[in-house]
Amino acid sequence: MSAGTQVHANLTEEQVREISGDLDEPEWLLETRLEALEALDSLDMPDVIKTPGREWTNLYELDFESLVDPLNAAENKDQVGPDEANVLSWADAVQEHEELLKEHFGSIVDPQENYLTALSTALFSTGTVIYVPEGVDAEDVAIRTEQNSRSLFNYTLVVTEESSSVTILERQSTGEEAEEQYYSGVVEVAAGENSYVQYGSLQNLSEEAYNFTVKRGVTDTYATIDWIEGNLGTQLTKTEVSTELRGDSSETQIVGAFYGHNDQHFDLDAKVWHRAEHTTADLITRGVIDDISRSVYEGVQDVGADAWDTSSYQRENTLMLSDESEADASPQLIINNHDTEASHSATVGQIDAEDLFYMTSRGVDPRSARNMLVEGFFVPVLEEIDVDELRDDLEELIGARLRQRD
Amino acid sequence: MARLELSNLHAEVAEGDEKILEGVDLEVESGEIHALMGPNGSGKSTTAKVIAGHPAYEVTEGEVLLHLEDEEFGEDIEIDEDQRTWNLLDLEPNERAALGIFLGFQYPAEIEGVTMTNFLRTALNAKIEEREELFEDEDGDEAEEEEDEGFESSPMEGPADEGEVGVAEFQGILQEKMEQLEMDEKFAQRYLNAGFSGGEKKQNEVLQAAILEPSIAVLDEIDSGLDIDRLQDVSNGINALRDEQGTGILQITHYQRILDYVEPDHVHVMLDGQIAKSGGPELAEKLEDKGYDWVREDVYGTA
Repeated sequence: MSAGTQVHANLTEEQVREISGDLDEPEWLLETRLEALEALDSLDMPDVIKTPGREWTNLYELDFESLVDPLNAAENKDQVGPDEANVLSWADAVQEHEELLKEHFGSIVDPQENYLTALSTALFSTGTVIYVPEGVDAEDVAIRTEQNSRSLFNYTLVVTEESSSVTILERQSTGEEAEEQYYSGVVEVAAGENSYVQYGSLQNLSEEAYNFTVKRGVTDTYATIDWIEGNLGTQLTKTEVSTELRGDSSETQIVGAFYGHNDQHFDLDAKVWHRAEHTTADLITRGVIDDISRSVYEGVQDVGADAWDTSSYQRENTLMLSDESEADASPQLIINNHDTEASHSATVGQIDAEDLFYMTSRGVDPRSARNMLVEGFFVPVLEEIDVDELRDDLEELIGARLRQRD
Repeated sequence: MARLELSNLHAEVAEGDEKILEGVDLEVESGEIHALMGPNGSGKSTTAKVIAGHPAYEVTEGEVLLHLEDEEFGEDIEIDEDQRTWNLLDLEPNERAALGIFLGFQYPAEIEGVTMTNFLRTALNAKIEEREELFEDEDGDEAEEEEDEGFESSPMEGPADEGEVGVAEFQGILQEKMEQLEMDEKFAQRYLNAGFSGGEKKQNEVLQAAILEPSIAVLDEIDSGLDIDRLQDVSNGINALRDEQGTGILQITHYQRILDYVEPDHVHVMLDGQIAKSGGPELAEKLEDKGYDWVREDVYGTA
């Protein structure tokens, strides 16, 4: 199958020039965008899980021609952070940090990696650049994006210098709802030597929306990138959260939580590439699906030939609350260096009838018992979240969705 | 006073038609201790689960009745004449719990992410609330009026949410009961049975009974796998239930050992899904000496 969508039929070079021009971008950025636009023709959709006789997520079915409205992007955005760090809008970053952008933009997520990254690169009109100078500890960087248009293409770059740290909380929601909306986000994180990045994100877009997001980081020596990703909104989400452990002794953690109901569809990838010595990765995802929702999880731990003394762990658990929901999980371990300690597991199950009986026999009504079990199911993931605000918000959204049930 | 009455109880596994109970007759009253003994597969655990309402079993014949006297649940709850007898088989497990039935599990569930404190306070409040609903006066809700005072919980202890027993008050109750059972207070913040040793789980079952104050407690092999110290703690807890709360105990056991610490008023032997023989404490001792074949021989005239 090739990229058979006709989106480029109504996309023009002029539109891309207008977006870039409005942002006052230098020539090299415009060129990158135009090349991405041109490449659309030859690019495929991102890979999705296939099980015999079934392709779980069919991105080709999306009607991009009607979803994408490049010149009418509208949003409500907050970008705040402490004074010591630079938290800039894309337009400001273009003016103040061109060299930084030149060095990092597109260096971690290849703009032409697939059809959707290229589309995002060609059309993004908003974004955030977070630059943390050497030795600075920046807490409470918050980015809030409220989508008010049919489509919104967003870009985020995080660069941390040596021995700095930053805690980022990103949230996406929908302001003005439309029947169908498309949100696209590309996030690149370059974690400098001995720096620490925690990047939390909470996606709570309208349940009519489609969402495509790639978040990828690269670590220098002794650097750590911790990702937390909560997915509650959209009718279809395709995301990847990943880290390339490029520096010796670097670490990453990828924590995920999702809760699908109605006819929501989540296709979630967590990936780590061990490309240096003494690196550690911990992938933990838990999700609930209900009604006729579906989830597909693919987790990859790839240990390269030079990755001596690797530690790599992966766990994924999906809890189905209804008989009609469907889940598939594929944890993969690719080991090319045998000096590796690794584990991977995935489970898909339902609420345990014995657990439920234990609780109801003590007087708890079945509904409360089930809710307690579901909330308890998320606890191992919630416990990994350092940012109180993110944990509380996630807990609250999970609780609210549970109480919505009869 | 309360009385649990099983009469001619027949039950089978819900999926399949394997008969397990074939006419059980048994009565347990408040303040009494009954030991229910018998070989593996005789139907003891099934009896316990059917009393509590386990969904895996289907009752095909007979009754499980609970008879209550007025003031079984204190002065606040008035039990009308026509609300004194309940057919438990018509009720959900949580409704049975609200009426004072407690099942101590042979294999308590391990529940990750739910703390003991949170679970037990929820259970206690749910029980009180359900009880009010079951005995609700048709003319109006009397229980409602006195509810508004109660404890306010401090902001440090989580949300001051609904429920008759507030967080602070509950902490007090829990602490007191844990001290009585010589349980480490750190258990309160641990997840329900998760990572508990076998003995700790059993002790935790007795603790939960102490807090929920049942009228009738069915304890399914609460003594299995306990070392002698813990057996004594658990036995003290069971005796306290009977002595302080007047709970009627139906103790299912394989072993004579616990009966040295929890002396039964009545001993029943179960064989092939029926109560084959009943007697006093001496029956247990005789079983210890002679085994179940002796009962079989005695009852059926064949071994």
